[in-house]
Amino acid sequence: MRIAGIDIGSRTVKLAVLEDGQLILSRNTMTSYNPLATAQELMGDAVFDVITATGYGRHLIKGHLDCPVISEITAFARGARFFSSDCRSILDIGGQDTKAISLDQEGNLRKFEMNDKCAAGTGRFLEVMATALGFTIEEFSKAGLSAGKAVKINSTCTVFAESEVVSLTAQGAARDEVALGIHKAIVSRSIGLLKKVAVPGEIFFAGGVAYNDCVRVLLEKEMGQPVFVPSDPQIVGAVGAALSSL
Amino acid sequence: MQAAMAAVPPLIENAQIADPVRRFLEYVLNKREQGNPVVGVYCGYAPVELIRAMGAVPVSLCSASQWTIPAAEAILPANLCPMIKSSFGFIRTNACFFYAASDAVIGETTCDGKKKMFELIAHLKPTFIMDLPQLPDDTEVLDRWRKSVLKLQGFLEKTLQTSLSADRLEAEIRETNRKNRLMDRFFAYLACRPIPVSWREIYDVITLEHVANGDEFQDLIEKISSSIDQRIALGQCFGTFSSPRILVSGCPVGGDACKVLQIIEEAGGVVVAMEACSGMKNYFVRITEESSDPLRAVAESTLSIPCSCMTPNRRRLDLLDKMIARFSPDAVIDVVLHACHAYNVESHKIRKHVQKKHGLPCLKIETDYSKGDIEQIRTRVEALFENLELKK
Repeated sequence: MRIAGIDIGSRTVKLAVLEDGQLILSRNTMTSYNPLATAQELMGDAVFDVITATGYGRHLIKGHLDCPVISEITAFARGARFFSSDCRSILDIGGQDTKAISLDQEGNLRKFEMNDKCAAGTGRFLEVMATALGFTIEEFSKAGLSAGKAVKINSTCTVFAESEVVSLTAQGAARDEVALGIHKAIVSRSIGLLKKVAVPGEIFFAGGVAYNDCVRVLLEKEMGQPVFVPSDPQIVGAVGAALSSL
Repeated sequence: MQAAMAAVPPLIENAQIADPVRRFLEYVLNKREQGNPVVGVYCGYAPVELIRAMGAVPVSLCSASQWTIPAAEAILPANLCPMIKSSFGFIRTNACFFYAASDAVIGETTCDGKKKMFELIAHLKPTFIMDLPQLPDDTEVLDRWRKSVLKLQGFLEKTLQTSLSADRLEAEIRETNRKNRLMDRFFAYLACRPIPVSWREIYDVITLEHVANGDEFQDLIEKISSSIDQRIALGQCFGTFSSPRILVSGCPVGGDACKVLQIIEEAGGVVVAMEACSGMKNYFVRITEESSDPLRAVAESTLSIPCSCMTPNRRRLDLLDKMIARFSPDAVIDVVLHACHAYNVESHKIRKHVQKKHGLPCLKIETDYSKGDIEQIRTRVEALFENLELKK
């Protein structure tokens, strides 16, 4: 049987199809102003027997496909175990949410914490900050990693931090050092959530921000725990949704 | 699953049942026409028995609407409790009928935000600030609080041109106890699984208590009980045997904050108990009858209310223990209004207590009266319910 999961997030829509415990299809695209149409386009010719939806657009899809839905928290808890069979602490930094989740040994949800309604310190925050500094996302991460020291950024509110960055560059602060400061700010905010739930051992890092090496390296250093990033960190929620179709 | 309830007849046949505010408004208008003064209060620490014993009608001035917050934020900081902002906004825009109708206003020093807000409105009406003790278990605190209540008596006697008799106060004490015992009969239905009453109906019955005297309330409770008995006989209920049963604790949850209760319902859960002062907390209080000092009895009963403004607030944990034992929830959802530091800090203790002592999951939701975080709250509530399902 082919099981599918669709994760309609704030920035991207992800589709995963599994067969016999193997991930056979993985697709993602940017979320548009019409997430339903985007999701339908993404599903396109994909063949599957059952599908489960997760992410912010889950109820929208439910109304259309009449499929089951699960929350992103349960989806990430399930999906993480697919990529790392014994992981117990999960950090997901997506487009507008940061989630920290811990599991018990059997993989059941133990605790979770989520950021409040604003997108402070999430993927969207990094995008806006990179643009403010004239970097692409890839350059932004590299700049952070190469900086010798960081300029302190006090705000993780996207709006406030952007003004702060503008002020700092106006004062002549080095671009790389500001980049590192921004990465540190996002990491310290995530750690605030993670420390409330995490257990010792490896941290499973998922979501689009997990592609950012600078965030991963800082996270490892600050938490003092190894951080594991799966090959496709964005697909974890969709895989978790697919697994719950069983 | 809960849409099926549309066919269930309402608890009380009353054209105004859908609008408790209007019912309350009419009640206050009638009372005023009959010559009864109106006294505005901000919380349960104001002794309503004292107010009623002077022939006055106590009305709550706490508001929970997003609508007046922009007007309030022209003066108050944005990072303040939404209940304080909403209440102040109503007064500032002259939109609060209950405030306009009040002949006197009582402010209780439950938190810094309220205390300072009272300073901004005190010139508008005769206002009395009750200096609330914060250490309810300390020796001599009751004597001090009794003095505050006595001072309030003096203020009301002067402002309302009336006087208090010990007999009238004693009669009001009996009346409160009687109504609280009647309310307890209604609360007993909330222990049923599945539950035959919705959260909206719990609030409806609570509003009815405010507009009824003991005899009227007795009559209402008889009718409500027989309606519920009939529902049970017909198998009409909210949710199913396995719907997650939720105890909602924390800050008052009224008006626009009811979005949390609505989300619980939409996610397939049922609210079986509401701990907050907007819910059931105040009805568990009993006042000592036939004492030599009824003023002290009233002071003692109000001081026993387990609000997070008290420290340490051991009584709230005791109350939760009793409520959990009686209503058997599957999880506790602790609602904290933005910038309510006392309930926010206490939430950690509540979560630990609920998890360790009762083995129940506890979810904290920090919110305000805006609609902006509905989907974020939904994700958390659904995750909580999915996890309860897995454990079954």
